[in-house]
Amino acid sequence: MKNLSGFALGILTAIGAFVDIGDLVTNAVVGSRFGLGLTWALALGVAGILLFAQMSGRVAAVSGRTIFEIVRERLGPRAGLANLVGSTFINVMSLTAQVGGIALALQLASSVDYLLWVPVAAFGLWIVVWRTKFSVLENVTGLLGLTLIVFAVAVFLLGPDWGSLARQAALPAVPSGEQPATYWYYAIALFGASMTPYEVFFYSSGAIEEKWTVKDLTRSRINVLIGFPLGGLLSLSIAAGAAIVLMPQSIQVTSLSQVVLPVAAAGGKVALAFVIVGIIAAIFGAALETTLSSGYTIAQFFGWSWGKFRRPANAARFHVTMILCLIIGIAVLLTRADPVLITEYSVVFAAVALPLTYLPILIVANDRQYMGEHVNGKATNALGVGYLVIIMVAAVAAIPLMIITGAGA
Amino acid sequence: MTDLPPPPQATGRLLDAQLHLLDRSVVDRNDVPVTTVDALEITDIELDAPIPRGAPAPVITALLSGPVLATRIFGGRPPRSRLERIRWSDVTDIGIVLKLSVDGDSLAVTWVERWMRDKIIARIPGGHHDPE
Repeated sequence: MKNLSGFALGILTAIGAFVDIGDLVTNAVVGSRFGLGLTWALALGVAGILLFAQMSGRVAAVSGRTIFEIVRERLGPRAGLANLVGSTFINVMSLTAQVGGIALALQLASSVDYLLWVPVAAFGLWIVVWRTKFSVLENVTGLLGLTLIVFAVAVFLLGPDWGSLARQAALPAVPSGEQPATYWYYAIALFGASMTPYEVFFYSSGAIEEKWTVKDLTRSRINVLIGFPLGGLLSLSIAAGAAIVLMPQSIQVTSLSQVVLPVAAAGGKVALAFVIVGIIAAIFGAALETTLSSGYTIAQFFGWSWGKFRRPANAARFHVTMILCLIIGIAVLLTRADPVLITEYSVVFAAVALPLTYLPILIVANDRQYMGEHVNGKATNALGVGYLVIIMVAAVAAIPLMIITGAGA
Repeated sequence: MTDLPPPPQATGRLLDAQLHLLDRSVVDRNDVPVTTVDALEITDIELDAPIPRGAPAPVITALLSGPVLATRIFGGRPPRSRLERIRWSDVTDIGIVLKLSVDGDSLAVTWVERWMRDKIIARIPGGHHDPE
């Protein structure tokens, strides 16, 4: 049973965090505009998150230290604080996008305006963070999130021209009518959506919540190796569905109802019901992770007591921080800011912030005081450094591309 | 002071305050996080005065936390009365984290945590219960 729940952490991080509102929206937008022409960026993102989540899990299991303790210790208070501010900005922005996503999905199911669902969704999140055990929240959202497989089923039901899809994926090209800058902008957005920093914060702190030891490392490796590619496949099927249904009719994805359109077209009401349940569960899971991550990063930076394994009274500042982050999210959404737009911006800003998270992990994974004999091997380091170069390029290019393309318009 | 013997040769582990103490986490005797080492307090050295040969080396007297972090980031120094201290004699172990021999709740530095617990968290139903 213990093995099973550890395995569920992998699945949850795959589906709840991998397929979050960012992936849903970005993959549907990309699919509807570029077909499968950006599959390589998705694959690059999946492999990257695989590498770094595994590394952060290993660091946490071996040293018992999480990302932000390490950030503080290695970067010192000034650079560490700058990092904390940047990461918290991204966390709260993702959290806001996820809460908006839950509200939009509930609107799809109920026809009640999403603004009314925002406080309900946020309150639901808080109750779960306040009262529910770590293992329960991960299992429930993880299992329900699996219904998102209906996205993949829909692709088969639509009976696409597989040859053409494979060609799009294998021979990426900028479609006619799209600018190369826009293509690269969305490549970065897709990369950022797959590698969002909060996944690493959550994975690393989750290892402490679940009291991992060195023995659990193999399990962590299996989790990541199975969980993330599975999430990547689901993301790909979202893009494929959009490429099959939306692209030929040049439908632009600007709302959640367009994201689920291919599923509805393929499987009708039943499929739609499944996909809405899946979306709510997956985004709810991701929202829990972003809420917890906001608390984790701030508490760890300042050395406060934190964690779901403690009673709220024994981690008071941690819980107050999470409540404040949720309130900020509600406040932003109640200004009628479009959650889909917030999502699109959040994945690009996530790409900008990637080096802040990934550089410290790579440094500490090589530190013998922390890691002893479990330091990175040569191959892992070569991959890690290679990825760091890609991450830096993406981070530097993101904002200029955003300006040139008018945020991908 | 001058007739004290010279300090014995250091034989233990050599610690770099910057590397091994500053910005490390501090946990209490039950492994509950207390704070991060924001600064260190050492015995006085007179500023701008030449140090006489054979003078005893300054000794760490306390770990500091709280408002001192802001001054470390933005410059300046808080008044001495505002420093929040953890006595150096309470530190039992220095590794990846610093361990204390006392309960975190008994330390002055945790007053914000205790205040938030008593005024906010404890008043919300379920605050004292284990998660289910």
